[in-house]
Amino acid sequence: MSGASGDGERRQRLIKLGSAVGFLAIVVVAVLIVVGQSGSDGGDASSVDGAAEVRAELKGIPQRGLVLGDPAAEVNLVEFGDLQCPVCKGYAEEIVPAVIQSRVRSGEARIEFRNFTIIDEQSIDAAAAAIAAGEQGRGWDFVELFYRNQGIEASGYVTDEFLTAVAEAAGVPDIERWDASRQSRDTIAAVEAETGEAGDLGLTGTPSFVIEGPRVEGGQEVLGTPGDAGTLESAIEAAG
Amino acid sequence: MKVSAKVPAEGTLQAVATALAALGVGVATYIAIAEADGGAPACFAGGGGCETVAASSHSELAGISVAVLGIVGYLLLLGTALLRGDGGRLAGFGLALVGFGYSVYLTWLELFVIDAICQWCVVSAVLMTALFAVNATRMVCYVGAEGTTP
Repeated sequence: MSGASGDGERRQRLIKLGSAVGFLAIVVVAVLIVVGQSGSDGGDASSVDGAAEVRAELKGIPQRGLVLGDPAAEVNLVEFGDLQCPVCKGYAEEIVPAVIQSRVRSGEARIEFRNFTIIDEQSIDAAAAAIAAGEQGRGWDFVELFYRNQGIEASGYVTDEFLTAVAEAAGVPDIERWDASRQSRDTIAAVEAETGEAGDLGLTGTPSFVIEGPRVEGGQEVLGTPGDAGTLESAIEAAG
Repeated sequence: MKVSAKVPAEGTLQAVATALAALGVGVATYIAIAEADGGAPACFAGGGGCETVAASSHSELAGISVAVLGIVGYLLLLGTALLRGDGGRLAGFGLALVGFGYSVYLTWLELFVIDAICQWCVVSAVLMTALFAVNATRMVCYVGAEGTTP
């Protein structure tokens, strides 16, 4: 009897220990989630990082508007993106830089960023700010820096202060002119036109890539969302 | 301690957990290798879901590939499945709960933040859910009992 009772007590103690282990496991999951979120917080107007890195990446490559590379290049790689889109951020940090260094810097192709605003109203604010930066020759600096400092999607971080901090870090020379331009009716209309074009092409998500070149049937082909730089580089080779 | 006849023997639960964890190691290793050079695992249904998830900033945790963390997690679960006694039961339950909870979070990210589903991640989430069920059954039904080997 006492043996069975002892076994029961031991089992009760172990069940309690199991509950504690379960609680500890839940705490561990919560910590993992917090660490994951803190790694991608961004969206802080008081600390825009990565300006030097972006400057080095784009140094010596001509840019006009949101087109990066030799304007005479036969092949044009178009990226339709939403500046608030976290997947676009991944592409901007891990895939697009390789294409820029291997194909754009050499003059083989140019790359163009077009806005496809699908997240919320603040995506339009961000897109307009990028176009306005492009008017002063800093469009790609702005886009790349925005992605590197991107906040949590649709969390309301795309404020005037944040956009201004990104524009300043991107080296936009005349902030007052940029500020007026980004809020102008023409710039907002340009954003809407680019988003409309993405819809006309049948694109459904961001980022989506389109290749334009002399050896592309019809002059334009939708590449969709390739997962690696190699696919984009091959498409450039085949298009030129 | 008496265990209902409907509950599988602990050795059976351990064998199932061993098989599931070994499969998990294989799946996580494949994802990690495919992503190593900026690539992505092959999604058989197409649609670019695997590429989109692999390129997402959420595919890393504090600079470490989530797939690599998965390999470590499945290896630890493999170890607990082979470990007899209450140590294996409690550790298996705790680790499986961590894996299951984090899998739920990753699936939520795919559905509502990344807006893309990677089939390999779904396979891993299913394996982790099954591992949690097996380890929870082992812990609840056999904790305090004599240790067995699979």
